[in-house]
Order: sequence, then C-alpha cells, then structure tokens
Amino acid sequence: MSIIKVDKLTKTFTTYERGGTFREALKSLIIRKKKIVEALKAVSFEIGEGELIGFLGPNGAGKSTTLKILTGILYPTSGSVEIMGYVPWKDRRKYVANIGAVFGQKSQLLFDIPPLDSFLLNQSIYNIPEQTFRKTMKEMVEMLDLEKIVRKPTRQLSLGERMKCEFIMAMLHQPKIVFLDEPTIGLDVIAKGKIREFILEQNKKGTTFILTTHDLEDVEHLARRVIVVNHGEIVFDNTMDRLRMHLGNKKSVRVTTHNPLSSLNQPGILIRKLHSDREAEFELDLSRLKLNEFIKRLNEESVISDMSIENLEIETIIKDLYGREV
Amino acid sequence: MGVNYLDNRAKIYASSDFGDEPFHSLLREETTVQAVSETPVHKKAKPVFRAVIQATYKENFAFRSNMAVSLIVQPIYFLVQYFIWRAVFQVHDTVSGFTFQTMLYYFAVSSLLGFLNWDDTDGTLQRLVQNGKFITFQLRPIHHLYYAFFQKVGHRILAFWIEMVPIIGFYLLFGIKPIPAMPLWAIISVALSFILAFLINHTIGTMAFWLVKTDGIRRAVLVFKDICSGIFVPLTLFPGGIQKVLFFLPFQFISYVPARVFMGSYELAGFTLSIPAIVGLQALMVLITYLLNRLVWFFGIKRFTGVGA
Amino acid sequence: MMRKKTSSIYQWIKIYFHGMKTSLASRMAYRGDFFMSMIIMMVVELFGPLVTLLIYHNGASFPGWERHEVLLLQGTFLLSRGIAFPFFMGMVWNTIRRVQEGTYDLLLIKPRSILQMSIITAFDSEDLGKLIGGLLLFFYALKSVPALPLVNWGVFLLLFVFSLITMFAFGLFMTGLGIVWVGNYRIYEIFISTMDFGLYPRSIFTKVFQSIITWVIPISLLGSFPASALLGKEMTGVFGAMACSIGFLLLGLWFFHRMARNYTSAGG
Repeated sequence: MSIIKVDKLTKTFTTYERGGTFREALKSLIIRKKKIVEALKAVSFEIGEGELIGFLGPNGAGKSTTLKILTGILYPTSGSVEIMGYVPWKDRRKYVANIGAVFGQKSQLLFDIPPLDSFLLNQSIYNIPEQTFRKTMKEMVEMLDLEKIVRKPTRQLSLGERMKCEFIMAMLHQPKIVFLDEPTIGLDVIAKGKIREFILEQNKKGTTFILTTHDLEDVEHLARRVIVVNHGEIVFDNTMDRLRMHLGNKKSVRVTTHNPLSSLNQPGILIRKLHSDREAEFELDLSRLKLNEFIKRLNEESVISDMSIENLEIETIIKDLYGREV
Repeated sequence: MGVNYLDNRAKIYASSDFGDEPFHSLLREETTVQAVSETPVHKKAKPVFRAVIQATYKENFAFRSNMAVSLIVQPIYFLVQYFIWRAVFQVHDTVSGFTFQTMLYYFAVSSLLGFLNWDDTDGTLQRLVQNGKFITFQLRPIHHLYYAFFQKVGHRILAFWIEMVPIIGFYLLFGIKPIPAMPLWAIISVALSFILAFLINHTIGTMAFWLVKTDGIRRAVLVFKDICSGIFVPLTLFPGGIQKVLFFLPFQFISYVPARVFMGSYELAGFTLSIPAIVGLQALMVLITYLLNRLVWFFGIKRFTGVGA
Repeated sequence: MMRKKTSSIYQWIKIYFHGMKTSLASRMAYRGDFFMSMIIMMVVELFGPLVTLLIYHNGASFPGWERHEVLLLQGTFLLSRGIAFPFFMGMVWNTIRRVQEGTYDLLLIKPRSILQMSIITAFDSEDLGKLIGGLLLFFYALKSVPALPLVNWGVFLLLFVFSLITMFAFGLFMTGLGIVWVGNYRIYEIFISTMDFGLYPRSIFTKVFQSIITWVIPISLLGSFPASALLGKEMTGVFGAMACSIGFLLLGLWFFHRMARNYTSAGG
C-alpha cells in the first residue's frame, strides 16, 4: 500500500539575471533577463508504507526541491502529491504533525541549552501527551546511549551526539514518515554505524524513511530501493539489487601476475588502470566474456600471483547515472 | 534624532546578537582576503592598498541594496528633525546661538559626515578574533591597521555614490547647500575626522583580545561615542559642565568639529577657537589616538599570541 | 466548537510561555553578557528623551507642551516599545536571520502556523531592558503630573492597547519584508525611523503629516494619543486613528501571509 503518491510533479522557477559589473547592474534595473529554470519535469513515483528509500542525485538535480515539496515547504507548479491522504502544501499544519525531518546541516536543537529542553519545547509544539512523550524519549535515549548526554548544553556535545539528538527531536511525535537529508554528514564511523542501526530499528517498527544523501555507504547500508534524479527527471527507480546490475552483468577485476600481462585488449574487457605491465584493474563484461573463459585464458598466458573479482562498485554506477545527459 | 535612531544603531552594532548577523561583512572578510592573496606577486603586482580598496568595493557592490536603505531612512530622520526644530523655532528665534537655518545646516552636514566616517572596523576585528580567523593576519606581511583602513576607504567610496550623493540632492530640496565656509580647512578637517573615526573604532575592536563576548560593551561604547560626537544635537546645547567634559574627549573631533569648520566658527564649553586652531587640535588628537592605538595593539597582540587562539 | 477555540488559545499561550522559558534559558548561558546587554538596552532607552531634554534645558519648548508632558508622551512610547520588542518584535530578526541561513524551513515543518512559530522562537530577553527603561521614564514623568481622573486612565489604557496593535502591525510588515528581501538586515531601520514620528507631540507636524500619521500609518497612536488622553489634551481624529490601526493590522496580516506564501512558491 503506498503511503506517498507523486504524479507528474513539476516545478519551475523564474529567476532574473543580474550582472556583476556596474554597467550590467544598471542595465538590469531597466531590462531584466528572465530565466526559467525547470527544477522538476513531471516526476512520478510511489512509496509504500514501511519502505526505506534512498533518494539520490547530483547537486542541483532537483533532489532538494522534491524534498521541500514533500515536506510542505514548497508548492509545485503542477502535478499532484498525496501523502497519507494529505496534500502537503495545502494541509500543511495537519500534515506536518505526521512527519519528521532530520537535516544534517540545519540543527533543530537550541545551541545553548540541553537537548532535553529542546525536546520539551517540541512536546508542546506537537502537543504530545506526557506519557507518550516520556516513553518514546526513554526508548530512543536508551537506544542511542544518550542517558548522560541529554542534560548537557548542546554546545558541549560532539557532532555525533548532536546528530543523535536531532533524530530524537525529529521522531518524538512518532511520525509515520521521516525525511533524512544528509543525516551522517561529518560523522565518524562509529557514530555513523549507530545512527544507521537506529534507522533500521525504527524502520522495522514501521516508520517509512526517505533518505537523501551523497554518502553512498549510507545508501548501501540502509536503502532497499533507490530513486535517482538527474536534470529534474527520474533516471532510475528500482531495488538496490537492480541498481547493482544496472550497468549490465559486470565485475570489477584486479590482477597481479609474475610475468608481464598480455592480451588484455579483447572484447568484454575495459581497462581502468594499468599499474605496471604486471598489474591491472579492469571491468569485465560477463555477457561478452564468460568468467571461466577469462580465467582460463589468463591462466594460460601468465602466472597469477593475486586476483580479486568483485561486483561493480556502487560508486561507478552512480557516476554513470549522474553523468548521463538527458 | 531620537531614541529610535540610537536604538537601531545599537541593534546593528550588536551585530552578533544572532551569531554572525551582518553576514555580508563576514563574507567581506573572506573574499577580500582571497582577492588580496590572489594578486600575482610576480610581474607588476598592484600596490596592496589599491588591491584592498578595489576588492572591498567590488564585494560590497553586491550588497548595494543594503546600503541604499539609507536613502529611505535618512530623509525620514531628517524630516523628524526638521519638524522638531520648526516647532521649537516657532516660539524662539535662536537656541544656543543657532537659528532654524543654521540648525538644519548643522544636521545636514553632520549626517553627511556620519555617512562618510561610518565603518564597522570594530565589529569586523572582533569577529575575526573571536572566530579565530585573525590568525591569518598574523601570517601576512601587512599590518591589520592598514589593511582595515583601506577596507574602509573602499567601502566608503561606494557609500559616497550610493548614499551621500543622493542625500545631498535631498538636502538641496530643502535649500540646504552643504558648502563649507572655508573649503580648504574643511577638507583637512573632514579627512582628519575620517582617520580619527577609524582609529577610535579600531581601538574599540581590540577589546576582543581581552573579552570573549563584546557585543554589550561595544554597543554601549558606540552609543556613548555617538552622543559625545554631536550627531544627535550640537554639543553647545548640553549643560555647561558636560560641555567641559566633552571638550576634552576625542569624540567631538569626529563630527562636531568638522561640522563647525563647515559653518566657519567654533565654540564649545566657552572656548571660542579660530578654525586653524581647532583643526590643529584635531590633528593632535589624531596623533594621540594613533599612538594609543599602537600601544593597546601591542599589548593585545602579546595577549593573543600568549593565550594562543 | 467553542471549547475547541478556548483550548487552542490556551495551547497558544502555553507554547508561547514555553518558548519564552527556553529562550531565557539559552540567554542565561552567558549570564554576564545578558545582564550587561539588558542594562545597556535600558540606558540607551533612557537617552530617548535626550533631544527633548536639551531643548527644554536651553529654554526652548514644543508649543503647547510642558517638559514633563512631553516626557510622559515619550515614556508611553517607550513603554509600548518595551512590551513590543521583547515579546513579539523579535519575530523580525528571527525571520531575517532564518531566511538567510536557510533554517526558516525548520519552522515550516512544524504543525503550527508560521506566524506562531516565528513569534515563539523569538522571545528577545535582553530587550526586557527596554521595558525597564520605558517604565522608569514613564513613572518619572508621571511624578510631575498632578493626580489624574480615573476616566483618563481608562482611555489611556484603551489607547495603549491600540498602540500595541500598531506596533504588532509594524512587526508584521517588517517580518513579511524580511521573508522576501533576503539578507537585508536594514529593513528594520526603515520602520524604526518611521516610528520616530511617534516620539513627539502630533502638533509639531504640519497638517499633511498629522493626517498621514493619523489616517495612513497610525503612528500617532504609539505615544501622542495615549499621552494626550492621560493628560486630558485635545485628541481630534483619535477614532480615525483607532480604525486606521485595525486596518493597518489587517493589512499587516495579509501582507505577512502573502509573503510567507511567496516563500513557499519561490525557494530553490
């Protein structure tokens, strides 16, 4: 059952060009050059309840515009959005009571007072009953090991501790959907791990997450489905497994041999890097060259000292998707 | 100008009520720094002062609409003044030696001096020290005092076109022609007041070497400075005892003195001085303030490097 | 229906006080600077009547107004500002800063009206110094005024409420401008300077300006009319000004919502 329905969502901005030099600025007072930017071009997708979606795209692709529309901050030029029966920008106040958001770069905590006080302020803003509030907070604080932290002034906390508190801040009112924007930016490995664990845990309990990030590790650890936007359009929308297969059935191979390598120039092999005449990295297209065929040939021609065969890195696939011209 | 004027200056002075409130001045620090360091050192480098002036001018050009707000605000303040004194002079012919005409002339000139001499050197320096960026100045072969001075010059050249020229036009509508009685002395006096205002602000800025949060104190000092410099009202209107104190403070030389030089006669606390004499005193005050600045700076830097930012 | 209304007003007040408490707690983190700033605010406020005092000191005057009468007017004005600035005028700076930093969005994802969020996150505790300053001046001036009939006080209080309404409307216009005129922290100055007309007796202005500050922008309600009511002076046009201030408020609300809507359609 889908909890979010987005249909032909379009957003255009009108901007005016203003020159940098004095003369251009004077000119812009009289004649303003209109420039229409299409941030989203009829984007459609659906998200089911309890999903954990990675929402990816290069800078300026329309990612944050989509996110703003879905959170009711921005309204679109055309198209429709229905989330939990609400139209975000129309029933904003009722709607946002049911969602949460964590922005890695915009803190909702008040800097000079303990997170606990910020939580309490949110309690009255969201009108959360005392009992529910206590219970939810206790659970989350324990899960994130924050017992000793929530009473310290926020400014004294580490970035990781702060981010954990941001999650509590965003989820105290038990939202059905949580939007995450770069939630692990700047964090160390341990804090990242803890936060990912927390997200998965909450997801198991039924919360739907929409994750926008540039951190592909986050995506690999968390997302089961991925939507990629570029130039205001969806260029990929499918499962994580499908994403891995997106560039075809390819492997990433690294080989070191005792004697110089030969005959790498054959169909099905795309050389990425030649470290020396005995060491190379390349992509192997299994549809053109079978794996055992390749190993057999290699074995005949050289003495292998080391070899690794892995799935194509997600980064390579994403780079390909981002790089495509539409 | 009444309490509102004071208040709004106070608010702006207290710029970091909200962290880094005058965002554009922060930007200014950043980009100017870049622009200067990008100046190619090999073949025919621009002299530093020109580079700083040009970079500051260009950066602030982007914020000209901010500056242009003065074109709405200043006429409003002037109108209020106009009405206040119009009412007062309906019953009295002169107040403390001023007629309605000379009073308006005084306000017009001192407001123009205000625009010419304004700078945020103190705020900028304090933010630099407090957020630790000041360290980059210690690594550069230019003294912060000179750097900041040329920043002010660049900034004020822009202000001249955007704020002063239109406002002079506005005053002309009221029949006020801000033409000095003795042009040469007036130019010298204005130049000295420009330097003095800068030196005082820079010295105030050095407080940051000793204090962590300086907004409150800075606001107080700056309001005090404005009152004592004669921006709100000619200093001769103050009670005699206060006038004596004001005479020996450096602040009168920022605004009151050059305004009086424009008018062609000087008087305060019972002292009537000739124009060359008061301008001479003004020059002396610039020198004293400069020496004071260097002294305070010396101890400030010592503290800065000692504490380790 | 009725019950729902009262409970929502109760909610509003509860959240407001919560916001106030939080903001005070934040400011207490730098206690020294806080008290210092508050005292400075107070002192700066007390310099408000400076020009007036100097005028009277030099034997001059505003026609028809005694020194203490003008001070009472200015005390009223400062009192009105002393309430407006800490309690709701903070929304202006709050909005300007948030729009510039990009954290305005955080207000929009809360299940409350934008206006309410802008006000509750903006209690300006150090501006309480303004309130103290206003109180000091008001009561200082009142000392020189002979005992006043109770009716005068009644009318004064009523007009004082209108003074606050006018202040609030000013705040709405500034906040609205703050949303669209990104990064211009000087917006505030435009209105602050305009309010300066309210610091002096209405009678010092020319007829045209008197009409403007009564019928167009009811600045005369900020100090002149309430003080005139208290002192039993003439106050022609006061009903017009009251009606005007309601209109000004409605226009302000409309403008604010219009600009907020603008924010949600532009962005990017």
